[in-house]
Amino acid sequence: MKKLILGAFMLMGVASFSQDNGYFFGGLESNSQWLVPDEKIGFDAPEDRFRANNYLQLNYNLGKFTAGIQYESYLPSALLGYSPTWDGQNGIGTYYLNFKNETLDVTGGYFYEQFGSGLILRTWEDRQLGINNAMKGLRVKFTPTENLDLTGVYGQIRNGFDVSEGVMQGLDANADLSGLLNIDAVDLKLGGSYVGRYQSNGANDSIPANINAYGGRLDFVANNFYGGVEAITKDPDVIINEGEVESPQLFDGTALQVNLGYAQKGLGISSTFRRLENFSFYADRYAEGNLYNEQIVNYVPALTKQHDYLLSNIYVYNAQPRLLFSDTEERAGEVGGQVDVYFSFDKESFLGKYGTKLAGNFSYWAGLEATFNFADQTYDPKFIGDGPRYFRDLNIEVKNRWSSKWSSIATFQDVIIDKGVTEGGPLGTQGDIRAQIAVIEGTRKFEGGKALRMELQHLWIDKSRKNVDRKNWVAGVLEYNFSPAFTLYAADAWNYEGEGEIHYYSFGGSYTKGPARFALNYGRQRGGLICVGGVCRFVPENTGLTANLVVTF
Amino acid sequence: MKRLLPLLLVLITFSAIAQNDLPKVDMTTLDGQPINSSELSTDDNVVVISLWATWCVPCIKELDAISEIYPDWQAETNVKLYAISIDDSRGVKRVKPMVNGKGWDYTILLDTNNDFKRAVGAATVPLTLLVKNNQIVYRHSGYSPGAEMELYEKIKEFSAVN
Repeated sequence: MKKLILGAFMLMGVASFSQDNGYFFGGLESNSQWLVPDEKIGFDAPEDRFRANNYLQLNYNLGKFTAGIQYESYLPSALLGYSPTWDGQNGIGTYYLNFKNETLDVTGGYFYEQFGSGLILRTWEDRQLGINNAMKGLRVKFTPTENLDLTGVYGQIRNGFDVSEGVMQGLDANADLSGLLNIDAVDLKLGGSYVGRYQSNGANDSIPANINAYGGRLDFVANNFYGGVEAITKDPDVIINEGEVESPQLFDGTALQVNLGYAQKGLGISSTFRRLENFSFYADRYAEGNLYNEQIVNYVPALTKQHDYLLSNIYVYNAQPRLLFSDTEERAGEVGGQVDVYFSFDKESFLGKYGTKLAGNFSYWAGLEATFNFADQTYDPKFIGDGPRYFRDLNIEVKNRWSSKWSSIATFQDVIIDKGVTEGGPLGTQGDIRAQIAVIEGTRKFEGGKALRMELQHLWIDKSRKNVDRKNWVAGVLEYNFSPAFTLYAADAWNYEGEGEIHYYSFGGSYTKGPARFALNYGRQRGGLICVGGVCRFVPENTGLTANLVVTF
Repeated sequence: MKRLLPLLLVLITFSAIAQNDLPKVDMTTLDGQPINSSELSTDDNVVVISLWATWCVPCIKELDAISEIYPDWQAETNVKLYAISIDDSRGVKRVKPMVNGKGWDYTILLDTNNDFKRAVGAATVPLTLLVKNNQIVYRHSGYSPGAEMELYEKIKEFSAVN
């Protein structure tokens, strides 16, 4: 703490020297909770009832230089469900110094970088998930011409307030072929990446110390069509499960992603195919598959629609890129795809008067079909095959405005999820769960920025299946905006057919003033996966008061 | 709480001396061309910068609501809206079809590595900024139905001041 204040005042000293052209920017985020015991859901509040995660980020820019620090505290404990790595910790989490001119961009310290779509390398921060895998080291970006750029990185991956044992290095190059070759008809971009990890193997020669991954990609835009291909291959490495080497064999990994889209005024279509075989990449080989995504160096999101309603968020998919070879489970990766369609009607249609908007999404993900030979410790995968279905989602959303005061959104979703994906345990062998969810949302606007919003939701479980999970749910949300700055809400999700017929109620409000936003909520949190950007973390059921404060400056 | 107090003091000091320049960050256009945030606001015209994502329901409601009255706004104040998508690789492929499917007339920029989001300290989206002469003159986070009217009042207010 003292160091922080000292550092801050030193920074301010610099600032007073250069008030003509230097400037500060940054922000504060504070999330805290007070947990209370709740017999009804069997929640025995832990001893640390009060928990808080705080982040203060300060940056200072002076001409071509920018410097920044981020102070973080997880005191007295981190919020429930976060990795124990954070509990009781505080200090400077990240810092950096950056120089940038027309052609050169150099960063020392901690930085966030992404090569291509992030499948080969991505370091990022997600405070809701408790992920911060910033790379600590050096990054150099070189842009010699408008059509060419090169990036080199070297360093270790942040793990709590420490860094990974493995050392990462990477190179990324991008070329705008249309610009270089003066092609007008198509816009073509070519990219190539290399990422390597060095981690000592002690004296164990059966474990490779160096693991390299290579990737290439090509993206195009031609009139209304656009698309791209990205392919990555990773050196043979040991497979690790729960910190233990699983097999004497080494296995290589691959990733392939293809997308194709079409867009014109009023209509947009996007489709993606992805195949992952033994494709997880961590800065420490023993971290593979850890619950909290710690030390992960690439980004493998679930490519499905991210739903935002209480009941459509119960059955969510999580990408399954791993190879597992054990008595209880054999799997090699995942393959699947999704399609999105967006459409706007011209003013009047049979669905409504004022330009009804439609959005539809379909996604299907399955395990890679493969035959496993346990004696030889080998497996033979198909390219697509007919592996066990992990997830299938079909959903449609209709958005209408009825008058200047009334608008509505209606959505319907039909989802099938493998029991292992949603509840844990082996995948593809425990049967699946099917649910249909309908949501109707209505908004009534009043004068002076006042508005009332209502949601009604129902979830039907397919009871003809073996697994019915917690059966049917009904939910409602009522929200009133007293002004654009002040909102109160009450919500309840009632598992009326489940054990104990539990109400997951919550109520609260938020207040915004200029760059500050404060929110307060009290209620029961349904246990399960909390997913942000297709990456998930498990949160146990709990009851309590939460407060969030965000200030940007 | 004791530990938080000095933190808040430092914060207040900083907000007082913080200048409101729009941070300089590289992004790309929908066609993949590089663009720097310092190119967005270079004169007296008010520019709206809205940070959004394809998975953020309030963001889409806000941009849908503004979309219906955007031609009037432009005619009256010359305002221009840049909708900066913070989608990462999971959602970024949806940006183009969604923008087209919804018929939005905004200039769309991509902040896939979230450099701009971090630089403006956006913990949550939507975050709406009004920028004039490269200075942030107004900020609002979150969206509630009808908030676009208040935003428009602010646009008119800052357009009138010289």
